[in-house]
Amino acid sequence: MYAAPADIPLGLYVHFPWCIKKCPYCDFNSHEIEGVIPEDAYITRLIEDLETHTKPFAPTKAMVSSERALCSIFLGGGTPSLFTPDAIARLLVAIAEWFDIDKIEVTLEANPGSFEAERFVGYRQAGVNRLSLGAQSFDDEALKALGRIHQSSDTLRAFDAARQAGFDNINIDLMHGLPGQSVQAAMQDLAQAFNLVPEHLSWYQLSIEKNTRFYRYPPVLPEEDKLFDIWQRGIEQLDQQGYTQYEVSAFARPGAQAAHNLNYWQFGDYLGIGAGAHGKISSTKSRHHTIDRTIYRTAKSRVPKDYLQGGKTRVTQIPKDDIATEFLMNALRLNEGFSRRLFENRTGLAWQSLASFLADAESRTLLKTTSIGDETRVWTTAAGRRLLDELLLLAP
Amino acid sequence: MTDPAYIRNFSIIAHIDHGKSTLADRFIQICGGLADRDMAEQVLDSMDIERERGITIKAQSVTLNYHAEDGYAYQFNMIDTPGHVDFTYEVSRSMAACEGALLVVDAAQGVEAQSVANCYTALEQGLEVLPVMNKIDLPQADPDRVCQEIEEIIGIDAVGAVQVSAKTGAGVPTLLEEIIRVIPPPEDLREGPLQALIIDSWFDNYLGVVSLVRVVQGAICTKDKILTKTVGRVHQVDSVGIFTPERKVTGQLSAGEVGFVVAGIKDVKGAPVGDTIVLGGTSKKASQTTSHKREAQALPGFERIKPQIYAGMFTVKADDFNNFRDALEKLTLNDASLVYEPESSDALGSGFRCGFLGMLHMEIIQERLEREYNLNLITSAPTVVYEIVTKAGEILRVDNPSQLPDSSAIEEMREPIVRANIMLPSEHVGNVISLCIERRGVQKDMQFVGRQTSLIYDLPMNEVVLDFFDKLKSVSRGYASLDYSFDRFEAANLVRLDVLINGSGVDALAVIIHKDDARSRGMALIRKMKELIPRQLFDVAIQAAIGSQIIARQTVKALRKNVTAKCYGGDITRKKKLLEKQKAGKKRMKLLGSVEIPQEAFLAVLKVGK
Repeated sequence: MYAAPADIPLGLYVHFPWCIKKCPYCDFNSHEIEGVIPEDAYITRLIEDLETHTKPFAPTKAMVSSERALCSIFLGGGTPSLFTPDAIARLLVAIAEWFDIDKIEVTLEANPGSFEAERFVGYRQAGVNRLSLGAQSFDDEALKALGRIHQSSDTLRAFDAARQAGFDNINIDLMHGLPGQSVQAAMQDLAQAFNLVPEHLSWYQLSIEKNTRFYRYPPVLPEEDKLFDIWQRGIEQLDQQGYTQYEVSAFARPGAQAAHNLNYWQFGDYLGIGAGAHGKISSTKSRHHTIDRTIYRTAKSRVPKDYLQGGKTRVTQIPKDDIATEFLMNALRLNEGFSRRLFENRTGLAWQSLASFLADAESRTLLKTTSIGDETRVWTTAAGRRLLDELLLLAP
Repeated sequence: MTDPAYIRNFSIIAHIDHGKSTLADRFIQICGGLADRDMAEQVLDSMDIERERGITIKAQSVTLNYHAEDGYAYQFNMIDTPGHVDFTYEVSRSMAACEGALLVVDAAQGVEAQSVANCYTALEQGLEVLPVMNKIDLPQADPDRVCQEIEEIIGIDAVGAVQVSAKTGAGVPTLLEEIIRVIPPPEDLREGPLQALIIDSWFDNYLGVVSLVRVVQGAICTKDKILTKTVGRVHQVDSVGIFTPERKVTGQLSAGEVGFVVAGIKDVKGAPVGDTIVLGGTSKKASQTTSHKREAQALPGFERIKPQIYAGMFTVKADDFNNFRDALEKLTLNDASLVYEPESSDALGSGFRCGFLGMLHMEIIQERLEREYNLNLITSAPTVVYEIVTKAGEILRVDNPSQLPDSSAIEEMREPIVRANIMLPSEHVGNVISLCIERRGVQKDMQFVGRQTSLIYDLPMNEVVLDFFDKLKSVSRGYASLDYSFDRFEAANLVRLDVLINGSGVDALAVIIHKDDARSRGMALIRKMKELIPRQLFDVAIQAAIGSQIIARQTVKALRKNVTAKCYGGDITRKKKLLEKQKAGKKRMKLLGSVEIPQEAFLAVLKVGK
């Protein structure tokens, strides 16, 4: 019997693959608009896509029944705010046919431009309750260098508009380590964000990814020592302003952690619909008193045209040997680390399989483990946090 | 049985890039050895490494059927030879199977040192040399000048040199006719008892040992009982045949022919190169043919080649050691110039001290071991052999710096000196002379022939084997060519430079160098190592020392921050691939204490030059 483990939270990711202009640092599945976005057709296709996952013999063997509760929805991109509030409403209505979404976090990524700001009321009415604004910087020169089409003043207005529209849970995406950026400039950016008093800040270092324009024409980035100073000073600032770091690049006011992202990092399940969207679905198979855990990854056709025509859902299993590593790659990003119970629940593996890794990493003072009663917790030390990539090289 | 009168055995002498492989391919094509569609470029370079690097390492043979203008079909056995200075020994082996050689010279570039040396080898072995001018289609081709160079430098008549373009095919038919006319056929010894010279042997996982042989006398057939003279064990022949260049079974090879023999020999040492195959056992044929001549004699073998440089090779993982030993054993069969003996290093554990013909040879061996035997190896800094006279009057040969006796026990240290012949276009002479002086060279002779200059230098071998060839190429814009051979040992002021990592000496990193450059070399070496050792979780101190005196120090600063900024649902697969790649890179590193050292750092000494 196949079954989806009911105690693993399930999120829903919806990808909107279009942008007005592709940013030179962005390696996500985004495509510059040619002509008009086929809005209706795309929403229709998304709904159809969702349905395939909720039927018996879905792409992954364990069907995602409507009985399984949804913990969050994330409308990401690309630029989802290129879609009208009506289109978003239509999608959310369809999702609500399957899942109870009244009380869950529903995030929409928006470009902080003036034309989007007018739509915020509509999104709020459609059921979106969290807005993520891609501010990136408050320095107009820096924004230009990043290939952004908005200016700092747009962000300030968009933020106001979001508050006016009733959003009481707003994230601001902010980058640091920009080409030519000084420590002071990076702190200035943060200060501007603090002025807006968002609930959440994603403050992440610019990295040069393959298949981007920056990869082909690399900009001159600040030297490592400067990057380190920016990072250290920034975390101090964020902390002073009441933004607690809970993940490498995520900072939140109390109670405002991003439920959707948290679910990724806690190695929860998620459906991924839309062009190029990725999903992760666990399934258990019981046989002779043993329970076999299989974790599937799903990926949709990347090219919008293919996706619109149906496309294929590529389904792969995470090889058994990789499950622990993938878990660690996610869970160790969290400041609070993870508990033994979480590890066993999400991976289906025995705690023992981490033993040598934990011993090794602890001996290098990159990790700490504590046991209280029958519960064991693992988390990174300060050194482990800043050297996470090195720490993960020790993973099984 | 082919009448030897219609056989021609020849090899091709050519400098790298002078078009030898292209010419060989052209022959194969004209003689119909391969259908056009099978002509993977340069078919004779069968190892991946050879194709990738565009060089020939191993001798290869191919049998071609050539329908000559006189109406007869001739059997051409062409034995391809390596062109790099490291592999000269392969050349003399190949030539032992031939009656003639084509000297292929680039009609634009002229004669190069390597070809001169190989040509002398051919002449010494009594081969008829047929000069061939290649690349005459190039606008800068100057056949008259090159003809003069051949005559003056090599001293053979080049008036009859055939002018060809292997690339366009022009002149190649004439060349094939000239081969018949100029190169003598093998002696007709079909009637005598079998004598076949093993030119090369290699190990095939399915067939066992495969040997490339030249039948000198008699014939060898399937089902024959044979034995190799030095091993003495009798085997039954499973198959014999020729390379077309694919292996083609013919059932028989007779006097004058070149081909392969497979006799189910599973012991990798069962058919050593240079040995003679004769009939053995109690087969009817053996007793018939040996009745009138009791036992066929062994043919003169090959001079055993002496390694020029030595380096330790170690497996990254200790449990690979047995596989490593087996792999070396199999590789030596195919490469008689590779010598090895067990070595134990404090830093790197158990491995082998291996002798190589040169740096390229070392690189190729490591690459072959890693690719063909799936090993992960670390090579220590290579060194030449030094002669040490101790206070007690003993003379020691040291091929490992860590085994150098204590300086108080040394009376004198002697380093090997080579005599080098460098040939180059005259305009680069200044640069090359500066390079030779920098490398402590002493000029012995200088001659101008046409546009070419021939320089004779005595140079410390240590200064030549490591990176001299590359430097020479770069200061002469690629035009200079080099040939050298060991001449003598000479007293020199040498010291051992030790390298310490986080305070502990690493024996595998020690090098012997001239005292006058010890300081600058030590500094350069340490700086290079700093570049090559990745940053780790803690500071890594690298020091260079002579005796107890530290002469240079650098620190690889601890990593401050290394964390992927973003990781969301869709990223994980890509991020994991990246992680796996980094993990694989880490596996290639050797752990010294808690410091991870990549292979390149052990070879840093090669990259510092002067």
